[in-house]
Amino acid sequence: MYEIDKLTKIYNMEKVRVIALDAVSFVIPDEAIVSIMGRSGSGKSTLLKQMGLLDNPTSGKITFNGKDVTWLPEGERAKLRLGYLGYVFQEYALLGELTSLQNVYLPGMMLNGAGDYKYRAQELLELVGLRQRIKHYPRELSGGEQQRVAIARALINNPGVLLADEPCANLDTTSSTMVMETLVRLNRELKVTVVFVSHDPADKKYADTIITLSDGKLTEAAKVSND
Amino acid sequence: MTKSFKVAGLLAYTSIRKGNPGVILLTVLILALVSLNLLFIPGLLQGLVSGANTQLKNTYSGDIVVQSNTANPLLSDAPDLINKIDAINGVTAAAPRNSQGAEFIYGSEHTDAMVYGIAPETDADVFTIDKSIVEGSYLSPGDTDEIMLGIQLAGADKPDLELYARSLLTVHAGDEITVIYGNGVQKQYKVKGIFYTHFLQTDAEAFVSQTEMQSVYPATANSADSIYVKVKDEADINSIITQIGNIESGLRVLSWQDYAGIVKSLTDSFNVINVILNIVNLLIAGITVFIVTYIDVANRRRQIGVQRAIGITPWSITFSYLIRAIFYAITAIALAILLFLFVVSPLEAKYPFYFPFGAVYLVIGAPTIFRMTAIVLGISLVASFLPVRGMMRMKIMEAIWG
Repeated sequence: MYEIDKLTKIYNMEKVRVIALDAVSFVIPDEAIVSIMGRSGSGKSTLLKQMGLLDNPTSGKITFNGKDVTWLPEGERAKLRLGYLGYVFQEYALLGELTSLQNVYLPGMMLNGAGDYKYRAQELLELVGLRQRIKHYPRELSGGEQQRVAIARALINNPGVLLADEPCANLDTTSSTMVMETLVRLNRELKVTVVFVSHDPADKKYADTIITLSDGKLTEAAKVSND
Repeated sequence: MTKSFKVAGLLAYTSIRKGNPGVILLTVLILALVSLNLLFIPGLLQGLVSGANTQLKNTYSGDIVVQSNTANPLLSDAPDLINKIDAINGVTAAAPRNSQGAEFIYGSEHTDAMVYGIAPETDADVFTIDKSIVEGSYLSPGDTDEIMLGIQLAGADKPDLELYARSLLTVHAGDEITVIYGNGVQKQYKVKGIFYTHFLQTDAEAFVSQTEMQSVYPATANSADSIYVKVKDEADINSIITQIGNIESGLRVLSWQDYAGIVKSLTDSFNVINVILNIVNLLIAGITVFIVTYIDVANRRRQIGVQRAIGITPWSITFSYLIRAIFYAITAIALAILLFLFVVSPLEAKYPFYFPFGAVYLVIGAPTIFRMTAIVLGISLVASFLPVRGMMRMKIMEAIWG
């Protein structure tokens, strides 16, 4: 379970003070699929980076599985990112010198040096529909395929939570649909909590909970039914 | 730790395999040239020192020089002293010499040089001058009215000689020259032989037999102003010096280094030059690896940020760069050693450098190779570590999104 309590992030840029997140609070139960929505600049990505432990908030508290992780030292945060949180970047962020398979199993190798991470990586690539692409390098894949490799990579260590920052921002409609459906399927099949950021209202249909931000403030946190 | 090594290994392997071949080749080439220089310069200087020492001992000083330490500059009863020296364990031979300054005249050419009265047979047991005859022949024990000249003194129609302008210019074996000794005695000598040891100081000297010297300086009969001693390679030279000093009082016993102090200052100077050149080379190696790593790290800033974001530890990322530095260094060192052993060294042996003490050959031992390997590896690791360490201190957000 994720618990966000009065999370605030302020950027001080020379003479300008930008409040990117303003005392945002909400709770994400396990196995939920949550969409963080809002217009550009509303603080969606900033919120996800705090949840992904990639950045420190100015104030507030983040509780993950009952543990306050807000001010953990970088070494502890790295361990949580590696073992418990999967993060999918907006820009795919695959490592260009590694094949799809290597990209996926790299965090697995880091966590379980002697484990069956290669087999697990193959399984995940199969799960996201890229079995035939395991030896391909990122530059040989379409945007949608790269994003699905990134999703597989985020899942290699069986994280409890998958955080996706506008995973379809750079994709065409067909690829976007495929990626979003993959996220939903993973949520249902692997029981992974999925939190994705989107500015597209059409993506609401994939979520069971909608969190809406406006100018850094939480304006809506609602459970929806998509049945 | 094993996991970190495996991840680092994968990152390093893929970055080398998929990296820019031109950059990799250039880096390895520069490091190879630096490594080659680190072998060549010490090899040359070591060869220079070693060659100078060998020439000095073989043609000028022997291993030990015994002189008088009393008011009388001559060692009296030299044959008895030589017998006692010869009896010391480790001594190969001992040869007496008497030296006198003289003026040499040939036609209109004049020059000054030292004339040594030698016992040709025993002298040849201590020195190798008899093997350096380029014209005529070596002296025999009873030779009178004959002289043997060094080539720098004779000139021998060789204008390329270092001291040609100060020589007798055109003297060859068989020619007749006039020698005026310091005591005023003037002698006509037939040049029996000309030697060329390639040791400048020796090649500017002249030799006559002891018999001839005694005819000019009767006081030298049964005496010597110096006794030169050759010892076995494995002998303890200091122990022999002590034993010779104990034979009788009034002896000054010098090692070849003490006798020819110039060699020590030469060696010290070469060592300083060697250190300076090595430091410059290492700076070049360090800066090369630093720049290559720095540019690479700067270009991969976002990628490194992503690696950290997905949980790859800073240590793994850093170690991947260290593995690459080791790869560059080992490849370059291997290339340099191959070039040195199979190209530079044979070429230099075929076309050696000539110095005033003769031909200089590259002298490289395993310790020099190990030292060079360790130094280049160490410098590469440090130079690679610094820029990566800077990147690891950057926040993940900054690394990925600037």
